[in-house]
Amino acid sequence: MILFSILSPLEDVLRHILTWLNGTVGLPWAWAIVVLTVMVRLLMVPLAVKQIHSMQAMQAHMPEMKAIQQRYKNDKQKRNEELMKFYRDNRVNPAAPCLPLLVQFPVFIALYLVLRQFSRHPPGGNLSWFGGLVPDITAHANAHWSGYLLLAIYVGSQLASTYFMSTTMDKTQRTMMMILPVAFVPVIVRFPVGLVIYWVTTNLWTVGQGIVTRQMVPKAQPPPKRSSRTPPKADKPSTDGAAEATEEKPVAEQPAQPRRVRRKKRARR
Amino acid sequence: MSQVLRLPSYLGIALVYAYRYTLGALFPGGCKYHPSCSQYAIDALREYGLVRGVILAGWRLLRCNPWSLGGVDYAHQQRLFK
Repeated sequence: MILFSILSPLEDVLRHILTWLNGTVGLPWAWAIVVLTVMVRLLMVPLAVKQIHSMQAMQAHMPEMKAIQQRYKNDKQKRNEELMKFYRDNRVNPAAPCLPLLVQFPVFIALYLVLRQFSRHPPGGNLSWFGGLVPDITAHANAHWSGYLLLAIYVGSQLASTYFMSTTMDKTQRTMMMILPVAFVPVIVRFPVGLVIYWVTTNLWTVGQGIVTRQMVPKAQPPPKRSSRTPPKADKPSTDGAAEATEEKPVAEQPAQPRRVRRKKRARR
Repeated sequence: MSQVLRLPSYLGIALVYAYRYTLGALFPGGCKYHPSCSQYAIDALREYGLVRGVILAGWRLLRCNPWSLGGVDYAHQQRLFK
């Protein structure tokens, strides 16, 4: 309850934007929710751009990261620790930070409260969506068959967005994240349709952002990765012969090798 | 610390677990740090009690932003409360 009263200013802001989109812009309530969601996500785009840059920078370190993952294959704790250390040392980090995620929750809860208020005291104007396909967005999702359709789209979009967001997680965690949204359907069925619309929109945005990110960050090709790792192996027998002279060579050669690979990648982009 | 005095921090830990299986699952994301922010919160609450645990977890969340570097950061390594 305390949390709800903290959120009331945010609730007011959201309600005003929604009323403005409905009244002044003339959108039906459902589309007003979609536009509001897009506005919230647009505010967060700079964060996504920041992460894309970080992922691009990380591509150059792919071989080393793969080596760490391979070395600590059976020790999850140690692997995460070593990877995080590596990210820090190289000033890259592909994982999404928690804070921007947290910022979304109050918006989500406030919108839930606004829509709950709407369903208790329905506002004037068009409450249907797609010309009556969804008759009332303030009703619970299980009130009409279209609600179930929306829920199906929600589950699909949720799975897709989890797929894009959980790339840095390990398998068991990822599986759990995939199962939970389905398990939540019985709860979400009692949510107002408008909230499901918000959810679907924000998920689809995540998916779109994920696709764009993937295109901007090309997956490192396995062959060049191997080639950058092979030279040290080839150098090993030579170090057996003359220790001092050849020990300098790999040091001199190694920086040149990754640079060549990086140049190739840039040219491809 | 006696068990009774630890009760508030258990409440906090329960809330973190509740978050993990509800909002945390519905809004997928990662964490820049190891251990993750939610695990850090649990550790901090367990080791430093409710008030200091919440402060430590809050500070960690603020650090888990797009401009920080992330890395390895355990609750017992904190330097806020000595």
